[in-house]
This record gives sequence, structure tokens and C-alpha cells, in this order.
Amino acid sequence: MTAQGVVAQGVKRRFGAVEAVRGIDLTAVPGEVTALVGPNGAGKTTLLLVLATLLVPDAGQVTVAGFDPVTQADEVRARMGWAPDVFGLYDNLTCREYLVFCGEAMRLAAAKARTRASELLEVASLTEHADQPVHTLSRGQKQRLGLTRALVHEPEVLILDEPASGLDPRSRVDLRVLLRRLAATGTAVLVSSHLLGDLEELADRVVFVDRGATVGEHRIDQLPTNVAPRPWRLRSLDLPALLAALARTGYDHDEPTPAGVDVRLNGDEAAAALIAGLVRDGVPVVSCHPLGGQLEATYLELTT
Amino acid sequence: MTPQGIRVVARQEFTIRIRAGRWRWLLSIWFVLLLLVTALLKLSVDNIDTGDAQNKGVVVYGGLTLLMLGLALLVVPSLGAQSVNGDRERGTLATLQVTRLTAGDIALGKFVAAWGTSLAFLAVTLPLVGYCMFLGGVPLLRVLAVTAVLALLLGTVAAFALCLSSLLARTTTSGVLSYLVVFALTIGTLVLFGLGAALTRENYTEVTTCPTEQQLIEQGVPEADRPNILQGCTVSSFASSRTRTDRVWWLLAPNPFVVLADAAPQLPPETAAEKKVRLADEARGISRINLRQADPLGALGRTVRRLRSKPNADGLILSVLTGRGHKPVWPWGLGFDVALGAGALWVTARRLRTPSRVLPRGQRVA
Repeated sequence: MTAQGVVAQGVKRRFGAVEAVRGIDLTAVPGEVTALVGPNGAGKTTLLLVLATLLVPDAGQVTVAGFDPVTQADEVRARMGWAPDVFGLYDNLTCREYLVFCGEAMRLAAAKARTRASELLEVASLTEHADQPVHTLSRGQKQRLGLTRALVHEPEVLILDEPASGLDPRSRVDLRVLLRRLAATGTAVLVSSHLLGDLEELADRVVFVDRGATVGEHRIDQLPTNVAPRPWRLRSLDLPALLAALARTGYDHDEPTPAGVDVRLNGDEAAAALIAGLVRDGVPVVSCHPLGGQLEATYLELTT
Repeated sequence: MTPQGIRVVARQEFTIRIRAGRWRWLLSIWFVLLLLVTALLKLSVDNIDTGDAQNKGVVVYGGLTLLMLGLALLVVPSLGAQSVNGDRERGTLATLQVTRLTAGDIALGKFVAAWGTSLAFLAVTLPLVGYCMFLGGVPLLRVLAVTAVLALLLGTVAAFALCLSSLLARTTTSGVLSYLVVFALTIGTLVLFGLGAALTRENYTEVTTCPTEQQLIEQGVPEADRPNILQGCTVSSFASSRTRTDRVWWLLAPNPFVVLADAAPQLPPETAAEKKVRLADEARGISRINLRQADPLGALGRTVRRLRSKPNADGLILSVLTGRGHKPVWPWGLGFDVALGAGALWVTARRLRTPSRVLPRGQRVA
């Protein structure tokens, strides 16, 4: 049996003089959510276009759902759903018409396409907007509709480019729940995103890319700790006393803001030691917490 | 590529077009414009003193058809010129390409929608065509042939526009270029033909020969006259120059107006009864216009057929009037145009094929 999910090895793609992807390795396993993380221009979208059967890579081995997206594009398309970072919707169709059209484009029978459209409208909580034209939807609703389009043929592999950008917190939670549910039913989900806080709760694995190449591939629960000093935020009832204590003990800190004072610390032990010291000095500390998650710290360390 | 795939795309495109545009208004304006033209043509025909009032429809129909083609050539390019690159700009093309629809499905579906929309304009004018038939002198066969050729020509232009929209990244560029293609087909062919014809100018010597006695007998010249003709005849020659349009007629052939006019079946010639009436009128000093000879389509068709003929071909003068004895031009012109249109569709489908290797400058996949 060939490998399922997504397997990409040594993918390269250049556009004229620009080498957009210079060697990305990535795997996305069925039943897991894999996050693709990297700065703008790192080659994420280009890689996803290769996986989505839209671009021919210059080099590298790629299989999606066990098929080659270049030579077996139709087989891949039958098993893969892709949602780009633009909506790509037809403004004048209603939500239902749009989903029925997408179903028919996926060669579903007309009746099947209609029932599937109703199911997906439910999934996207768009049932009450089903017969409204797409241009009346809010940004979040459009985003959800764009995502459900990719689900129309119940794909084995789901590829999402920035699915959460521009979504409100509530919709982001809904998206997270939906993607986890899809993964639980055996779908291989590959998501590119900048929202690292969300990814930490969503993804099982994370692939870091920078300047067109893979720079790290980790399980979320096994991210390297102590990679670099990261900011922790301190709040105290007595700001001058806190600043004085920090100055005395020689900790580097940023300008205080109403939110607190940020201090760079090397890992949890350093934080515990600092708090112990401050309490000992009688500084009324209210809170001390790391800024950004472990994922963000790793991201900042691995990318430039 | 499957019929279902083409149908899915075409239906989708139709729905979007119908909801996006103010079609009712556009089609109404179109109809009113052509209605005015028809009315004016009818009025002017009424002012002509003719011997064949039962043929009034001929001139009205000819004028209406040529004008309709002219207007359609202004409308049709805009129907397809943003079809592909517009979808690219809106980000809807890539989502279509990752479905199981093939590039051929998408290209042909879009073409069917653009062509179908242009045929709606044709359909709206059918009542006016019916009125022309009611006025008389327009056989059904002529209407069928003209409508079919008109539809094919509009399809060709729609295919060109679609192809340009797949080749160029910007919708404005493809729009302008589509109109330039129409310009090349209409004015461009005319200019090229004129320039080409000027190059074919040649000097020649015309030699008048004397008939033999045998030829005179065959032509039924009375025996008494024969010696005079034979003795009075001298072989003479004079130098002159002429344009050999028979060498460059094909430059004019792709012109849509030429194709349409020449493809319209020629009307029947003057009947014996009509001739009798005309001669009687002429004897009384009345000159009347035969409306079938004034048919704009027929006149244009006869002209281009004459351009295709070699000079001094047998019975030239006579055939100028009847249009008989000359080879038609339209099969070449229409064949060329339709082949070009089919080629344009093929290019479009190729350009829509994914995964793609090369992208044009400044173009995003999605």
C-alpha cells in the first residue's frame, strides 16, 4: 500500500529568478492535524499549491492520498480538499447553490450534491443563510463557506491555507473543533497559519519552514524547551518596588507598560527562581506568565 | 472532458451572468435600436418606385442583418474577454481547477456560456426578421442560412475573446485586444486587401482576334454579312493595366460581413413575367428599380465573387449582374474563421490545464 496522507520530500519550485521553495520535507498523517508554520514568503502557499495539484514542482517527491499530484491529478482531486487563502466564492450565488455546484464539479450525482450541501450548511452554521447570496455574508461566514467547499466530497486529505485569518475568536474556536473532529474521523489535515496560539491547541504536529526550506518538524507536545530566552510578563501592586528589585538582581527588562513589565528568562526554572526572589524581597507580585506559547518561542528561534 | 462537466460549468456561468448584468436593459436597448433601423429601412424602401412591391423585405432584411452583425461585433467581445482572467483575479478559477472538472470542461463551459449569451441577442431580433419575411421576398432558406452563419461568426468572436482572457493576466488588456481582433477582421482585412490588390497591378496587352468563317456560321451570322465582317476585321492590340484581385481575394474572405453576405443564398433572377413588365415600362420611359438587385447582401456577395474571378473569364459582364458563374468566397472565409475559433478554444483549454509548469508574468495561481 502506498503512503496515505501527504508526503513531500525535497520539494523545489522557482518562479523565474525567485526560488520560492528550496527543499521542503513534510508529512501529514491521517488522523492528525499538521501545522505548516513560517514567515510570510517562506514558501508555504507555493508548497500547498503543489500539493493541491495546481503547480508542478521543479524537483522532489510528492504524494497526496497515495497519488502523484502531477501525473495523477484527477485521483488526487477526488480525495483531496483545498481551501486557498482567498475566498474564491461567486458573489451572486446563494450558499446552497454554491455548494451544490461544487458538489457537481466533484462529479457527485445531483441528488447527492444537494443532500451534501444541506449537511455542510449545517456544519458551517450557515443553514439560516442558505438561500442568501454569498455577497451578503460576513467575512467569517464566507471563510466558513470556503472551507466547507473543500469538504464537499468528504476528502481524505484536507489542505487549508490560512483558514483562520480574519476570523473572530468564536469562529476560530469553531474551526478548531471542526478540524479536530475531521482528524478524529481519519482525515489528514494540513493547515498553514500564523495564529500560533490557536495552532498549539489544534495541531498534533508542526513543520517549521523558513526561506523555502524545512527547518524543524516536531510533535506539539515534544517541542524543544529552553531553546532561547523568552519574555515573561510580571505584574506587581508596587511597580517602583518591582523595578528596583529587578535592577538590583540584574534582570534585563523592557519599558514598563500598563500591562506589566516584560523580562527575558531562560525556561521555567529561571521563572520560578525569579518569583521566589521577588517574594523574598517583599515585592507584591500579582502575576508572572510567559508571553506567547512554546510554539511561538520555537518559531522565533527557528525562523528569521 | 464530459458533457456533464461542460454543462455544470456553463450553467454556473449563465447563472452568474444573468444575476450580475442588467440583461433586460441591454437586450431592450438592442431591440429598440434594431427596431428603429428596420423602421427607417422600411420607410426608405416605401419611397422607392419599384416594379416589385412584393419584394420590399429583401432590402430591409439585408440592411438589418448587416447592421446586426456590426452591433454584435461590438457586444460579443465583452462577453468573453474577462471570463478566465476575471475568475483568476477573484480567486475562483483555482477552486474550479482543483475539482474533477477538466481544463476542457472549463474552457468549453465558459465558451458555451459566452456564445449562448450572444445568441440571446440574435434571438431577440427574430421578430424583426419575421417582419421582413412578412414584407416579402425573403425566403426561409435565406433566413436559416444567414442566421446559422451569423451564429457561427459570433461564436468565433466569443472564442477569440475567451482565448485572450486566458492568455493575458489583466482583464482590461484582454478586453482591448478582443476589440482589436474584431477590428483586424473587419477593417484590417479590407485594408490588407486594398494594399495587396495594389501590388497585383500588371500591364497586359489585349489582342482582338478575327473570327473564322466557321465561327460566324456557328453564331448564325447571315451569309450576306460574312464577307464584310471577315474583310473589315484587322488584328489589333492595345496595352493597358489591370488589378488582379483574383490573386488576393482571400485577404478579404475572413471579413465577417463578406462571409455573411456571400453565404446568403442568391435570390432568384428576374422572371420572364417581371422582365416583360420591366421592358414595357422602359418602352414608356419609366425606369424602375428591381428590389432583388438592390439587395445589400446579394450585391456585396456578387462583388466579392467577381473579385475572386480571373479577368476576362467567359461571360464576365453578364455574370456580374446575375452573380452566376463565379465561385463563392464564403466557404473559405467561414472555414478560416471557424478554424481559428476552434484553435482559440484549444489554446484556452491548454492554458487552463493544471498542474501548471510556467506562469505568465505577474500572474498568481490562486
